[in-house]
Amino acid sequence: MKRKCQDYKSRLPDNTAMKQQQLPAFRLQLSANEILSGFFAIGLFCLGMGIILLLSAKSIREVEINYTEKCATCAKLREDATNFDKECNCSISFYLPQKMEGNVYLYYKLYGFYQNLYRYILSRSNIQLVGTDVKDVRNCAPFKTSDNGLPIAPCGAIANSMFNDTIVLLYNFNSSTHIRVPMVRTETAWWTDKYVKFQNPTFQNLSSAFAGTAKPPNWPKPVYELDEKDPGNNGFVNDDFIVWMRTAAFPNFKKLYRRLHRIGNFTEGLPAGSYSFIINYNFPVGRFQGQKAVVLSTLTWSGGSSLFLALAYLVTGAVTLLASFSMMAVHLKLKERKTFFLQ
Amino acid sequence: MFCSRKKSLEVERIVKANDREYNEKFLYKDNRIHTSKYSILTFLPINLFEQFQRVANAYFLFLLILQLIPEISSLTWFTTIVPLVLVVTMTAVKDATDDYFRHKSDNQVNNRQSEVLIDSNQDQSSAPYMKVLKKLQNEKWMNVKVGDIIKLENNQFVAADLLLLSSSEPHGLCYIETAELDGETNLKVRHALSVTSELGADISRLAKFDGIVVCEAPNNKLDKFTGVLSWNGSKHSLNNEKIILRGCVLRNTSWCFGMVIFAGPDTKLMQNSGKTKFKRTSIDRLMNTLVLWIFGFLICLGTILAIGNSIWENQVGDQFRTFLFSNEREKNSVFSGFLTFWSYIIILNTVVPISLYVSVEVIRLGHSYFINWDRKMYYSRKATPAEARTTTLNEELGQIEYVFSDKTGTLTQNIMTFKKCSINGRIYGEVCDDWGQKTDMTKKKETMGFSVSPQADRTFQFFDHHLMESIELGDPKVHEFLRLLALCHTVMSEENSAGELIYQVQSPDEGALVTAAKNLGFIFKSRTPETITIEELGTLVTYQLLAFLDFNNFRKRMSVIVRNPEGQIKLYSKGADTILFERLHPSNEDLLTLTSDHLSEFAGEGLRTLAIAYRDLDDKYFREWHKMLEDANTTTDERDERIAGLYEEIERDLMLLGATAVEDKLQDGVIETVTSLSLANIKIWVLTGDKQETAINIGYACNMLTDDMNDVFIIAGNTATEVREELRKAKENLFGRNRSFSNGHVVFEKKQSLELDSVVEETVTGDYALIINGHSLAYALESDVKNDLLELACMCKTVVCCRVTPLQKAQVVELVKKYRNAVTLAIGDGANDVSMIKSAHIGVGISGQEGLQAVLASDYSFAQFRYLQRLLLVHGRWSYVRMCKFLCYFFYKNFAFTLVHFWFGFFCGFSAQTVYDQWFITLFNIVYTSLPVLAMGIFDQDVSDQNSMDYPQLYKPGQLNLLFNKSEFFICMAHGVYTSLALFFIPYGAFHNMAGEDGRHTADYQSFAVTTATSLVIVVSVQIALDTSYWTVINHVFIWGSIATYFSILFTMHSNDIFGIFPNQFPFVGNARHSLTQKCIWLVILLTTVASVMPVVAFRFLKVDLFPTLSDQIRQWQKAQKKARPLRTRKPQTRRSSSRRSGYAFAHQEGYGELITSGKNMRAKNPPPMSGLEKTLYNSTSWIENLCKKTTDTVSSFSQDKTVKL
Repeated sequence: MKRKCQDYKSRLPDNTAMKQQQLPAFRLQLSANEILSGFFAIGLFCLGMGIILLLSAKSIREVEINYTEKCATCAKLREDATNFDKECNCSISFYLPQKMEGNVYLYYKLYGFYQNLYRYILSRSNIQLVGTDVKDVRNCAPFKTSDNGLPIAPCGAIANSMFNDTIVLLYNFNSSTHIRVPMVRTETAWWTDKYVKFQNPTFQNLSSAFAGTAKPPNWPKPVYELDEKDPGNNGFVNDDFIVWMRTAAFPNFKKLYRRLHRIGNFTEGLPAGSYSFIINYNFPVGRFQGQKAVVLSTLTWSGGSSLFLALAYLVTGAVTLLASFSMMAVHLKLKERKTFFLQ
Repeated sequence: MFCSRKKSLEVERIVKANDREYNEKFLYKDNRIHTSKYSILTFLPINLFEQFQRVANAYFLFLLILQLIPEISSLTWFTTIVPLVLVVTMTAVKDATDDYFRHKSDNQVNNRQSEVLIDSNQDQSSAPYMKVLKKLQNEKWMNVKVGDIIKLENNQFVAADLLLLSSSEPHGLCYIETAELDGETNLKVRHALSVTSELGADISRLAKFDGIVVCEAPNNKLDKFTGVLSWNGSKHSLNNEKIILRGCVLRNTSWCFGMVIFAGPDTKLMQNSGKTKFKRTSIDRLMNTLVLWIFGFLICLGTILAIGNSIWENQVGDQFRTFLFSNEREKNSVFSGFLTFWSYIIILNTVVPISLYVSVEVIRLGHSYFINWDRKMYYSRKATPAEARTTTLNEELGQIEYVFSDKTGTLTQNIMTFKKCSINGRIYGEVCDDWGQKTDMTKKKETMGFSVSPQADRTFQFFDHHLMESIELGDPKVHEFLRLLALCHTVMSEENSAGELIYQVQSPDEGALVTAAKNLGFIFKSRTPETITIEELGTLVTYQLLAFLDFNNFRKRMSVIVRNPEGQIKLYSKGADTILFERLHPSNEDLLTLTSDHLSEFAGEGLRTLAIAYRDLDDKYFREWHKMLEDANTTTDERDERIAGLYEEIERDLMLLGATAVEDKLQDGVIETVTSLSLANIKIWVLTGDKQETAINIGYACNMLTDDMNDVFIIAGNTATEVREELRKAKENLFGRNRSFSNGHVVFEKKQSLELDSVVEETVTGDYALIINGHSLAYALESDVKNDLLELACMCKTVVCCRVTPLQKAQVVELVKKYRNAVTLAIGDGANDVSMIKSAHIGVGISGQEGLQAVLASDYSFAQFRYLQRLLLVHGRWSYVRMCKFLCYFFYKNFAFTLVHFWFGFFCGFSAQTVYDQWFITLFNIVYTSLPVLAMGIFDQDVSDQNSMDYPQLYKPGQLNLLFNKSEFFICMAHGVYTSLALFFIPYGAFHNMAGEDGRHTADYQSFAVTTATSLVIVVSVQIALDTSYWTVINHVFIWGSIATYFSILFTMHSNDIFGIFPNQFPFVGNARHSLTQKCIWLVILLTTVASVMPVVAFRFLKVDLFPTLSDQIRQWQKAQKKARPLRTRKPQTRRSSSRRSGYAFAHQEGYGELITSGKNMRAKNPPPMSGLEKTLYNSTSWIENLCKKTTDTVSSFSQDKTVKL
C-alpha cells in the first residue's frame, strides 16, 4: 500500500539486510558439549540447592496442634447456629521438648475450607474496603444487604466468613505459674494491604462512619468494634480482618495470627517446656467437615518450612544428573559411527 | 451486479445482427466482465458471512455470546471481543483491498475501446426505419452488446466472441494469434462466409446486415462451434473457422468486421477461466481440523470438570452453602455442574486464542513481503520484481509435490534462433562453444555485420565469420544450402510501408530458418502460387514452383520442386534426419557419417535439427512423375496412398547438403531449476497447448526427458479403446507382467488404487516418462480410465501433456489434487493457463509478458521460470519451517497456559476459578508472548538460503508434511500438558505450608497467581529462546523486551496508584512487590523453569544426536564452517549427450502448402495463373474443405435441418 512515486522509479527492491533476510544473526545451534555441560551444571546446582533447602527445612521448629477433636464440646455447641452468643473456651496443653529459637510465629490453620471458590473470591467490594464508598456493595452477592435492606459493611462472603477464634498461648512455667506468652498482632498483614488496600472511611468517629450499614450476618459485633482498644486496628484496617481477606489459594491453608513479642523470658524465643493454648472457640468447621489447627513455627532464610521444595530440588537435580550421564553415554557411543553428511 | 440475474439455462442462442432490441429479449449478458466478488453494498454482509464460516471465527463468536451470560461468565467479555473485532476487521480490510484491485483491473478491461457500428443518433433509435443511419463509433468494451458489429484493426485484442463477416484480406481471410487462449503463437486463419465477405468495409451495407445466427449456448470448448446463419433467405452453416474468440489478437490483417455472438462472461475465454476459488493451505485445513479437535477436547475437559463440580457440590459444597452463601436457596448440583461446564469452556478457550489467527496472517504477510523484496528474484531486464499476490499461501510453497508447467513463455522464451548449421561436413556457428556459457559470451562477441544483406535483421545473432567467408567465396554447397532455406518453406512475405519485409510464419522454426537465410544474403522476397522470388546476394532470381510436397506428421519432411532461371529442375527437401538419411544417394555415405556426428552434437545441446538435401531432376523424369501425380489426383480410390507413393518415389537419391540447428530458446536457468527441483523430489509435468514434437523437444532440452530413461510411453490414441489399450500396455511395460491389471474396464475403487500405488512405488525402479496428447487425454480423463492414467503418470519421472486445452490443464491438475492428495503448483504465462493456475493449490504467473491474465489469476508472479527454484526451495521452505515451528510453539504455549486452570479446578471445588489474574489472561497472548514467536515465525532460518538452494533434499520434509501434522500436534500438546503440570504442581507443593521470610503468609490466591504467571512467562520465553535458531537483533529485542514488559506491566498493575484509581479492576495491589521479593517464590519459579525445559532439551538433543535430519547436519556443519565460504554446489550437469531428435515440428496439421499453391491467400492483384498442376491440387481438395474435415464439428445436415425448422 505504501508504494510511493519514488518506488516507481526503480522497482528494484532495496538492498537492506532486513529486506534481503540477511540480518546479522547468531545461529543458535547448541553443540553436544554445551548441552551436556549445561545439564551437569544445572543438575549440580539443583542438587546443591536441594541439600541447602533440606538442611534449612530441618532447622525449623514447628508445632502444629489440631484442635477440632480436642475441643469437641465447643465444636458441638457451634454446630447449632442459635448458640452463637454463647462463649466457649477450650484449653489444649502441649509440651515443647526443645526451645524454639528466634522469631516465633503463631498461625491458625484451616483444612478443607475453600477460600478459592470463584464466587467466594469475587464476593467483596474493594471500593468499600478502601473507604471511598462504604455503601458500595455491588459485587458482594449474596451478602449485599441485611434483612432490613441496609448495605452490609464489610459486605460479601469473605468478610462474613471471617475466622473469629481467639487464641492465647500460656507458658506453664511450673504447675502453678502460667505466664501468658506475649504476642503482637502488628506486621501480620502486608504493608500494602494495611495502608493502601484497606482504609477506613474518613470520619472522626468510626461508628458514625459506618452509620447506615449493617454488620455481616455471621459477625457478633459490627466492624467498628473489632478492636475498640486500638483505633489503628479497628474497622477495615483490623489486622485479623485484613489477613482473612487475603484469600488462600488452596483449601488447606494457614494464616498468620500473632508474632512472639521477644521480651522477658522470651527474648531468645520460646523456651522448652509445657504450654497450653486457650482458645475461644467461635469458628464452626464441623458444618463443612473441616479441621482447625494452631501452628507455632520458626523461620529460616527462605521463610517457612519448604520441605517440598527441598525434595523437589533434590529429585530434579538427581534426575538431571542422571539424564546428563546417560546422554553423555549415548553421545559418546554414537560419536564413532556418526558419518558426516557431505561424504 | 446485473449479471447475477438468474435465468433459465440457455439451450440455444439466437442473435440478430444490428438489432439490440431484438436481442434484448433473450437477456444475454453484455460484454462487461466481473472478476470481483463484492460491491460496496454487498461487501459487509457477504464478507462477514464468509468470515464467520471459518470454524475459528464462528467459535469465537460463540464464546463471546457465552461470555455475555452472567451466570456462566468466568472471564470478562473484553478478553474475546477485542481480538475478535481486530481479526475480523483486518481480514475485511484485506479482502476489500484485494477486491478493489480486481475492480480496477475489471474496469481497465471493460473500458478498452473498440469501434462499434451503432446508431449515429440515439434519439432516432426508436424509429426502426432510421436504424440504417449507423456509423462506427468508439465504444467501451463493456457497452458492446450481443449482435453488434465490431470493427477490429491489426494487432487489436478481440473484444468478444465474433462471427467474422469480412476482412481486408481476400476471400474474407483473417489471421489471428491465439496465444492468450491456448498458448500457441503461430498464426491461425479464420475466414468469413463468402456471402458476408462481400460486404467488405461498406458501412452502409454492414449496417443493413440483419442476419440471424442460431447457435449453441455458451460453453468452454475452444475448438468447437456450431451454428447457422440465416440471411437473405438462405442458410449458411457456421463452424469454428468463422469465429474469432475473445482474447485473440488480430494479426497481419489490417481490419475485419465481426458480429458479436457471445459477450462478456459468455465468451469462451471467460468460460474457460474457471471460478475464483478461495484457496487455503493444507496447514489452514489442518488447523481447522485441530481447532475442532481442540473443541472436542475442551468439551471433554469441561465435562470432567462439570461432573467434578456436581459431585463436589453434592459432597462438599452443600455444607458451604449454608455457611458461605446462607441466603441462597438449596441448589441443584447437576444444574451447577451444567453452568460450570460453560464457565470452563470460556476459561479454557485460550487453548486456541484468536491471536493465533492474527499471528498466522501477520507471519504470512511478512513472508510475502520477503518475496516481494527479494533482489534475487528481481528481473532487471524487465524491471519486474517477484510479487506475492496472495498473502495466505506462503507455507504451502514449502510442500509442493507436483509442478505443472506451461511450455511456451514459461520454459521457453518462444524465440527460435538459428544457432548452427553443418554444411557439407563443416560446422558453422561453433564460436562460443569453447566457453560453455553461451549467452554470456554472445553478448561480448561482436555481432557480425552482414554487409551482404541490407535487410539484415538486427536481432539476428550468428557469429561465424567462416560462414561469411564461404558465402563470399561462393562455395556452391553453401549457396545451395541457403537457397534451399530461402525456397523450401511455407512462409509468406509482405512488404510494409517502410519497405521492410515481413514474414508471416506459421511456425517459428520456419521463420528462424528463413530469417537466417535472409540475413546471410538469400532473401526470400515474395511468392505467387507458381513462383518464388528470392534475392541471392543482391540479384533477384525467380524460381518456378513446380510442385509442393507438403509436410505431414507421417512424412516428417517437406519438399519443393522448382525450376531455376537456368531451366534446371531441383527438388529441395528438408526434414527429420532419420527420414531424410534413408533417401540419400549412396555417394553421400562419408558426408552422412560426418553430418550424423554433427547432428548428434547439435542434439546434445538441445537444438532442434533438420537435415537438408536436394536432388537434381531431369526434365523428362519430372514430367513423367508429374503426369502420374495428376493421374493420381484425379482418381478417387486410394488417392492419398498413391500420392504418398509418388512423393516417396521422387524424394530419393537425394544429395545431402547439411543440417540446421534451431534453438527453441529456453528461459535462462531452466535446466538448473528443473534439475534442482527434481532433486527436491518435485515432479514437473509439462502441460502445453503446443504440438507433441515441440513438447518432446523441450522435454529433452531441459533435461526432463533423457536418453537414460528406461522407457518413454507415448499415448496418442484417437478412440477411447485405443487410449485404454495404450495405457494398459504402458502399465504392463512399467510394472512387468507379474502384476495383474485391470484392463481398464474395471473401475478401480479409489481406495484400492491408492493402496496399489503404495505397493507399486516400491517396486518400480528406473526412469520412465509419459507423453500424452490432448485428444487421448480427453478419453483418459474419463472416470474409468483416469485411475490408470494417474497411476501410470505418477510412476513416471516426467509427464508431458501436449495439445491440451486450458480446461484439460485444469482437469489434470484437479486429478492429481484429488487423487494423489498432493500439493500442486501451476506455472504459466498466458490466458490459457488461467484455469490451471486457479485450480492448482498455488498458481504462479510469469509476469513481464504482454498478457496479464495469468498474472492476475495467479498467487505469485515473477518474470522468469528459474525464480521458481528460489521461491520454492528458499522462500517456500523457510515459510513452511517457520510456520510449523510457530504453530508447534503456539499450541504448546497455550496448552501450557490454559491447562493450569484444569488442574486448579480439582483444588478449587471446580468453581471455574482462574489461576491467573484476568488481566494476565487478556494480555498473555497479545502482549507478553506474541512478539518473540512472531519474530521467530518471520525471521527464523534453520539453514541459510544458499544451503537451501545447494541441498534441495532439504525440501522433502515439507512434502511429507513432517514438521507439523497431527502427531506433531500431539507432541506439542503433550509438551504443553507436561509444562502445565509442572507449572501448577510445583507451586502447589511449595505453597503447601509456606510462609514468607517475614512470617506473613504468602500462600494466598493472588501470590499463587503471580507465581504461576511469572513462571509461565519465563518458561515460555526460555522455550522460544531455545526454538529460535536465528537470533537477529529483533529476536533479542522481542524476547528480552517481552520479559521486561511483563514485569513492568505487572508492577504497574500492582501499584498503589492504579489501585487508587480503579480499585475494583486492579485488586492485586502490592502483590508483585510482596511476592516477588520472597526468595522461596523465586526458587519455585526457577525449579518450575528447569523442570519444564530440561526434558525438552534432553529429548531434542537425543533426537538430533541419534536421528539427525539433513537440516540438523547442515546446521552443525554450518556452525563448524562459520567462517569458511559456503560450499558451492556441484553444478548440475547442463547438457547431456543424447540421441538425435530431429524435430520437424512445423505444424501439427498439414502445413499451408495447399493454401500457398491455391493462391487463396494471395492478393487479388496477382491473378492466379493456374497451371495444370496447381489446378489439380486446388480442385482436388480445397484447403478449406480439408480444414473443415479435420475439425471435428462439421455441421451435420441433420442438425442443420433442425435449426432451420426452428
